[in-house]
Amino acid sequence: MKTSRFFKDRLSPIAAYLLVGLGAVVMLAPFYFMFVFATHSRTEIFNLPPPLLPGNDWAFNLAILTDKIPFWKSLGWSLYVALASTALTLVFCSMGGYAFAMFEFKFKKSLFLLVMGTMLIPSFLSMIPTFMVMDALGWIDQPRALYIPGAASAFGIFLMRQFISASIPKDLIEAARMDGCSELGIYARIVLPLLQPALGTLGLITFIASWNNFIGPLIVMRSPEMYTLPLALRSMQSPVNTEWGALMTGSAIATLPLLVLFVLSSRRLIDGLTTGAVK
Amino acid sequence: MPLAPLPIGPQGLRALSAAIGLLISSLVQAENLTIAAYPAVDSIAKSAAAEWKKKHPGFELKIVSRSFPDHHTAMTTALSTSSNLPDVMVLEVGYVARFAENGGLQDLSQAPFNIKAQQALFVPYAFKQATARSGAVVAVPTDIGPGTLLYRTDLLKKAGITEAQLTSSWEGYVQSGAQIKAKTGAYLMPHARDMKDIIIRSNLQAGEGLYIDNKGKVLINTPRFERAFELARQVRAQKLDGKINAWTTEWTEGFKRGQIATQMSGAWLAGHMNNWIAPQTKGLWRAAQLPERSWASWGGSFYAIPKGSPNKALAWEFIQMMTLQADMQLQAFKTEDAFPALLEVHKDAFLDQPIEFLGGQKARLLWREAAQKTAAIDVHKLDPIAEEIVNTELDKVLDQGKDIRAALQDAQALLERRARR
Amino acid sequence: MKTPSTSPHRWRLTADTVPYVLLAPFVILFLVFGLFPLGFSLFLAFQSWEPSAGLNTMKFVGWENFAFALEDEWFWKSLRNTAWLALVSGVPQHLVSIPLACFIHNAFKRWRNAVIGAYFLPYITSTVAIAMMFSSLFSTDYGLINQGLMALQAWLPWGTPQAPTDWLGQAENIKPAIAFVVFWRYVGFNTVLYLAALQTIPKDLYEAATMDGANAWKQFFYITLPSLKPMIFFGITLTIIGGLQLFEEPFILTGGRGGTDQAGMTTAMYMYRTAFEFNDFGTASALSWLLFVVVALLTWITNRAFKPRGGGA
Repeated sequence: MKTSRFFKDRLSPIAAYLLVGLGAVVMLAPFYFMFVFATHSRTEIFNLPPPLLPGNDWAFNLAILTDKIPFWKSLGWSLYVALASTALTLVFCSMGGYAFAMFEFKFKKSLFLLVMGTMLIPSFLSMIPTFMVMDALGWIDQPRALYIPGAASAFGIFLMRQFISASIPKDLIEAARMDGCSELGIYARIVLPLLQPALGTLGLITFIASWNNFIGPLIVMRSPEMYTLPLALRSMQSPVNTEWGALMTGSAIATLPLLVLFVLSSRRLIDGLTTGAVK
Repeated sequence: MPLAPLPIGPQGLRALSAAIGLLISSLVQAENLTIAAYPAVDSIAKSAAAEWKKKHPGFELKIVSRSFPDHHTAMTTALSTSSNLPDVMVLEVGYVARFAENGGLQDLSQAPFNIKAQQALFVPYAFKQATARSGAVVAVPTDIGPGTLLYRTDLLKKAGITEAQLTSSWEGYVQSGAQIKAKTGAYLMPHARDMKDIIIRSNLQAGEGLYIDNKGKVLINTPRFERAFELARQVRAQKLDGKINAWTTEWTEGFKRGQIATQMSGAWLAGHMNNWIAPQTKGLWRAAQLPERSWASWGGSFYAIPKGSPNKALAWEFIQMMTLQADMQLQAFKTEDAFPALLEVHKDAFLDQPIEFLGGQKARLLWREAAQKTAAIDVHKLDPIAEEIVNTELDKVLDQGKDIRAALQDAQALLERRARR
Repeated sequence: MKTPSTSPHRWRLTADTVPYVLLAPFVILFLVFGLFPLGFSLFLAFQSWEPSAGLNTMKFVGWENFAFALEDEWFWKSLRNTAWLALVSGVPQHLVSIPLACFIHNAFKRWRNAVIGAYFLPYITSTVAIAMMFSSLFSTDYGLINQGLMALQAWLPWGTPQAPTDWLGQAENIKPAIAFVVFWRYVGFNTVLYLAALQTIPKDLYEAATMDGANAWKQFFYITLPSLKPMIFFGITLTIIGGLQLFEEPFILTGGRGGTDQAGMTTAMYMYRTAFEFNDFGTASALSWLLFVVVALLTWITNRAFKPRGGGA
């Protein structure tokens, strides 16, 4: 049947590409608008239909932004906290995930339940007790209060565990052990390199989560000079008189590092190692 | 040795450098007065920095600014643990009520503050709003939001309605709305809920709060609410509201396109409309008192001192400066459109000035009158829940055609159930 | 040359002890930062407390908060809302992201990063921008979505609405709107996860299957899906937990109010409002533990469904 072959071989791939392309546009649109809005004054932003093309109020918005909040400083703090958080999380979570995936030990089940359990409590309810803990430690207004507590996140451990159990065979570990490699050596020299895609993914997600987190800083920071970006940008929001143009500009700039990070890590993620693990 | 010997020995040098260090640090590390605020009161406080420096050179103003919800969340957290409290706390009227009953704020009617001596200097209802049921004055009002009706004079003209017809009575208001819709296609108001909100605030008897009276009796199943619900229902049934919520793009667009004919709100809205919401509609709006000589207020900011404040004396100095000094209040009025709570400023010539956005109308005189005539409403800690209950029932009446009597009965039952806890 | 370190006074990490070392960071951090908030929240569920009054005003009320919550029609309404939203936003996410990940994995070489990047963008767009964008898009009279639907109406009279839909104002419509935004936000996230997992499947498996004559569909069902099982389990668990704890998207689309007749109020939002608007931290804590029970139950069910033969992974 020539026509059915035509549909299968020619048309359905085209349809698939079209669909995926359309989806990509839908995904992109609000992001695009955020940047467009960043270049317009707030009166124009609130127009319906909204402006579709970039305007020329960019510098004006930036001026308002830097006047209202210590924007670049907040950006710096966000960067510092996110990097520290990512580094710590990658180490601790890969350790934890490896333990759950590859070993049998006493309390394994209960510990894993504990890990899962910590994912189930919404953060805003633990605001007040967290505040009390930070106050008792003297960590109020300190960035470390932002990146240390969540460093062994349940999400990360869970992700690592799934990844390791899916892609690293137990025999590999056994073989290395028999070859005389130390336990920590196995972790560092065999497991970690094979975890590249997972580490890239977790690193990206952790960075983004830290970057966008505002509840943590809200609890801990008492000085505007110590704010991270989300808190600083939110502090511009008045019930009646927000500088929307400046806020959009700030939000757009705040997204750029995430974009850069994504581009960098997607190489590792996607074009990353294919296997050869068993060999 | 190339250098001449120093006049003082090494011991002396050490002492000298220590002294210099102490001097420098005492100059550099000025003490801080922490003020927690939200926009736009934070700008007002920031602009007071220069004046403050003149009076208290050793003390810097440290203004901790957060968004409106974040700020109140942070204040709740600080008050709950009585730690890391600011010296001065800015509060919006809704939160003053909440915190007042809980004893976390300093009673300013006591010595050495004795604010009651200056009670007559403030707009009466604002001062009452800062007074807890126990008689403690927990905050000082700094700006108020006297209620006003802003309307499009061009749309009214086109529909053949006069301001008197619009504002004579609530029923008259709704009837005018029907005509405006018929002749111009514009909505009378953004949302029918606004109708309910304003009517339940009128004709309150002594001892009655909005939803609960001071004996704990729930007041929802009463004629006041019936009238409110009925008028809201009529507004919706005749399609006089756009189902538009405030501060959305539809709302601002409605103003820009002349789709919304009237808006009830605090007087400060006119300034924002001019600034950014709908500047192109300049000259087309007028302000009037609310229909049926009703009086209500929208918002209002207060300064309070938490009981755990580190530096109460200085905090009090700051508050006095911001609220009792006429020039500071006037400055805030001029720059941020913050209608002063200090009565003395109401006599200033600034209020006589015509407002361009309102077609040259001297609306501030209207608002001054509103401020005088508005009465404070007793607050109850269940007010937020009650509001949610009533709004949900109103939604059912408006959107699903639920019977008003049944709705009020259900609301009454729901609130009573919660009041029992 | 050094002798291997088997001397008795040198403690080696063995396969028995190393797990504890590996998990030590988690345990320590949990003990310091996790235990107290957990315990406090549990304790609080049995108290009546208005936070701004200070810690010493807590009043013990036993099971009253739980009893109240279980009889509260708003709690049950919020659970129904949450269940609906979790399902309608969660299922499509995985139904779409798995094939999408495979497609991107196989079909794009040069454009792979760009396409996956586009799908990932919603995840990194800031909440403020999302709130603004979607309120504007969903606007009844002027929003682009309705404009698009109206234009579509001219082409396909059946199946498309006649009049502009009131997305955010009408109780029946707000749920699909929220579900769409959640789907939009996380489908790319899941696609990235699956894409990463796809990297670990050995290519030779596919080559061998092709040589045996298996077509693309067979390969997908017999190679790809089973290999992705651990990741699917992870993804679905996360979607369940995230879906049942849905807060941010409904919050920003309804302005924090829950929408007309609270149609958009999820349990997490109800919890938040109970704590911060209605000032009842005790009941809010009780609600969070009730929700915890529901989520734990569903997670456990998922766990059983995915591991019929037991085992660690």
